[in-house]
Amino acid sequence: MRTQRALRAATVLMFAGMAFGTSTVRKDLHFRVGKHPTVSINNPYGPITVRAGAPQQVVVVAMLHSDRVELDQSQSRNRINLVSHLLPGADSISGLVEYEVLVPPDADVTLHADTGTLHAEKLHGDLTMEGVNAAMEVVDCADGHVHLKTLNGNVNLTNVRNGHVEVVSMNGDVVMTGVSGPYVSVNSNSGRIQYDGDFGGEGEYNFISHTGNIEAMAPPYASIDVLARSNQGPVESDFSLEPKHAPFISRTGSAFTGTLGKAASSVRLFSFSGKIHLKKRQN
Amino acid sequence: MKCLEFERVLPEYLEGNYLPEQQAHLQTCAACSNLLADLKLISEQAKSLIASHEPSPALWNALEERLRREGLIRQAQPPGFRLRSFSSRWRLAWLVPLAAAIAIGTVVKLHYPMKAGDTQPVARQESIPAPPAKPMSSEDLQLLTTVAERPPAQRAKYRANLDDANSFIRDAEQSAKQDPSDIFMQQMLINAYEQKQMLYDLAVYRSEPGEQ
Repeated sequence: MRTQRALRAATVLMFAGMAFGTSTVRKDLHFRVGKHPTVSINNPYGPITVRAGAPQQVVVVAMLHSDRVELDQSQSRNRINLVSHLLPGADSISGLVEYEVLVPPDADVTLHADTGTLHAEKLHGDLTMEGVNAAMEVVDCADGHVHLKTLNGNVNLTNVRNGHVEVVSMNGDVVMTGVSGPYVSVNSNSGRIQYDGDFGGEGEYNFISHTGNIEAMAPPYASIDVLARSNQGPVESDFSLEPKHAPFISRTGSAFTGTLGKAASSVRLFSFSGKIHLKKRQN
Repeated sequence: MKCLEFERVLPEYLEGNYLPEQQAHLQTCAACSNLLADLKLISEQAKSLIASHEPSPALWNALEERLRREGLIRQAQPPGFRLRSFSSRWRLAWLVPLAAAIAIGTVVKLHYPMKAGDTQPVARQESIPAPPAKPMSSEDLQLLTTVAERPPAQRAKYRANLDDANSFIRDAEQSAKQDPSDIFMQQMLINAYEQKQMLYDLAVYRSEPGEQ
């Protein structure tokens, strides 16, 4: 009886050990690269975190959650391509791969995911993110172009400076804090667009939505030329703007235009039926 | 029965060979019943599509001329309104899907004038209780076909996003037609097409060889 129980326990432990052993596989990859490398990662299911690391090397840690997904890698001179290759029968759970990646600060990075969070931090090269439901976070990046496309994921941009920023989103909210540069464009369908920054860099800021609300917060010292219009929604400004010529007939309650300070940056806030509010930061 | 099992027998189901358990699954699973409805629609629309040929340059020129006449595109921006790279980058890009949609509409009207309603007097149209649903464009059908292999929830999201993008295009188009000089609405139309282009891009991405 005791022997039987011991055998049963051993069997259970053995199967549990096998399941544990095969459930998650860690892969460590190291690549030597030159200046300004290109790193592309396509991961259908799972998060990708990319941070600036040491120059001339790319370090990848990938956690594969089952044997139904493989990691394909290739390096062609300065270009690195990583793909989570789904095998037949893989789904969002068995096909899950988590990436932690360190790249040289000047690397150009392209990330694609259906689900999971895409996170980029302290990069100075061009950054492209594409996702269906993937949330996107860009933090402390500068000097490069940032192009983001998402259907349903939320987008958060924090402290992104001196680059072209272009975001196209269907239903995800786009929240920008401390974002400035020569060109900042957000094109949203029903997602909310929220901006909190100084509209600096003598740039062009275009925020457009179909039904999503647009809320832009600027300091009292902002230097902007503003044009705001919602075809069917209300528009509101906390600022007393200097009047200027409008390229459309300004209707009370649905449009306003004017300048603040030296009008160094151009700000366009357009919505078809969303609410638009230009807020003044109090501190 | 699970969704994956149902998807495996979809071809047989469409041909009319089905079992009671498949019927039962359809009644309880919105994703699969939506997929079935989409595939039936695609199948019906495909029958009415004529083999497509690359339009001649003359046709493209005629389409551009027509768009200009309708005020949907303009020769030049008036001074004092800065859209610079914002608009110039997309000014031509958005013409392609719009022109394609008009081309398809023209072909359908040429070959099926009765179905398109061209010969029906306005008074008789008013007596129709509900307007007929606008046929889905071949590009949209292609997109839904492309994502047909995706998980049901993701397919449903593509469908919903496609509806949202088309709704934006419709709103902007109608407003641009009402006031062709409204640059604001032209910009909205460009952005609406940019959203739809993104949908196509994301749908096609995983279907390319070598991608997953």
